[in-house]
Formats: sequence, structure tokens, C-alpha cells
Amino acid sequence: MFNVLDIGASGLAAQRARLDVISANIANASTTRDADGKPNPFRRRLAIFAEGRADDRSAPGVHVQQIKLDPSPFVTKYEPGHPDADAQGYVQYPNVDLSVEYVNALEASRAYEANVTMMETTKAMLNSSLRLLA
Amino acid sequence: MFIDRMLNQGPTPLLEKMLDFTAARHQMLAENIVNIDTPNYHNKDLSLTKFQSLLRDRSRVRSDIAPGSVRFDDIHVDPHQTDGLMFHDGNNRSAEQLMTDEAKNALMHNLVVELLRKQYSEMEMALKDRVT
Repeated sequence: MFNVLDIGASGLAAQRARLDVISANIANASTTRDADGKPNPFRRRLAIFAEGRADDRSAPGVHVQQIKLDPSPFVTKYEPGHPDADAQGYVQYPNVDLSVEYVNALEASRAYEANVTMMETTKAMLNSSLRLLA
Repeated sequence: MFIDRMLNQGPTPLLEKMLDFTAARHQMLAENIVNIDTPNYHNKDLSLTKFQSLLRDRSRVRSDIAPGSVRFDDIHVDPHQTDGLMFHDGNNRSAEQLMTDEAKNALMHNLVVELLRKQYSEMEMALKDRVT
């Protein structure tokens, strides 16, 4: 049953990685330029989960299989005075919807808590089993 | 013969088997919980009803025969995929059901451990030939 703690740890790591991705999306919700400073809006990222642990795919657990780019179109706003506006005065903003990100963050946080609860239960069960020896 | 009867004719082997079952089921529920956001993941479970029915059938036949001749080691329940509402990502999660099953399974595990402790303490008393 000690194995269950490893399963739980894989869930915690995966949900934390998902929260990292969501945080990056929220932080870059208004980013209109890339790392080189060229006009290129931030594209929303998604953490995709798959079965199996990161260190051993055949072991029970979960891991982040890939960080995928969201192909949905950028948000276009009419801001003629903006330095990144095109000839018609439109600026392309990231395809990040803050409401969606907040809901996803809440979901990831709840899933993290579920994993913690499961690990606490595992510890209680192990403690109770070990009392057989006492 | 006496030790055989104590170890194999009482509820001890059944409780040990039950402990194996709750541990295996706990692992399965843990897998379901960590994969709560995994696309196309189907929740799995071990049927407690089926396991208890197998255990009951096996324990019924052993009262008339020699202690130890009926074994419980080979009793096995295969995992099955659970039913439930399928989400758009192909996962049929139910967080509430999972947490409930986990709590129930943990309680069952702790109950079995307590019963086993009681069995062992009775054995100890019998071996010491005194009531403490």
C-alpha cells in the first residue's frame, strides 16, 4: 500500500504543473509581444494529462503528457493609439479568458486537495495496519 | 492441530483476505482520483459485493472439514470499469462518489484491522493461558 503514496504524489505534481500553466496564462492575459519584443500575442497553454507516472509510464498514476497551445483565435480590440496596432488600428490580444482560467484554477486546486485527502487516508490506513504489529 | 484450528478455522484468514481487498481497492480508488482530469480515462473499481459473496460461499463449506483444508488465497475479483456520466473529455469522473468510496473503504480497512487485533490478542491470551 506504500505504492499508493507514490500514486498520490504523481497527482500532486501533475495538478501543480497544471496550476503553473494556468498562472502563466493569467499573468500573460494582456501580453501582446513575445520574448524578443516583437508584436506576437501570447497563446494560451493547456496541460494535457495522461495515465502512468512520469518516471515509469507503466506504473499507476498520472503525468503531464504535453503542454499544448490553444489554437483558438486571438482577441482583437480597436485601439488605434496602441504601439502594436495594425494599419486599421486593431490590436491582437492573447486568447486567454480570465473567467475560464479562474474556474480551471479552482478545479485544479480542488483536485490537488482530493489527492492530499487520499494521501492522508492512506497514511491513516497504514498506521492502523502497523498497529497490528504493536 | 490446536494452532491450525486457531489460525485457520476462525475468522482470521477471512479478515486477512479482506485486508488485502481493502488495500487493493484503495489503490484503485487512488488511481481514479489522480486521473480525475485525464482525458479518456475510465474509472475502475473492485466490487465489494462480489468479493464478500465469494468469501461467504467459501467460508460456508469449511465448517465440516478439517481446519486449513479450505483456503482463501485464490479468491480474486477483477477490476471493472464503472458507469457514470461521460464528460466531454471522455472521462467518467465523479469526485463525490470517489471520495465517498475512499472514506467507506478506509473505514472498512480500519474495522478489519481492529477485528484482527482482537483475534491476535485472544490468541495471545490463549497461549499465555491467562486472561488479562
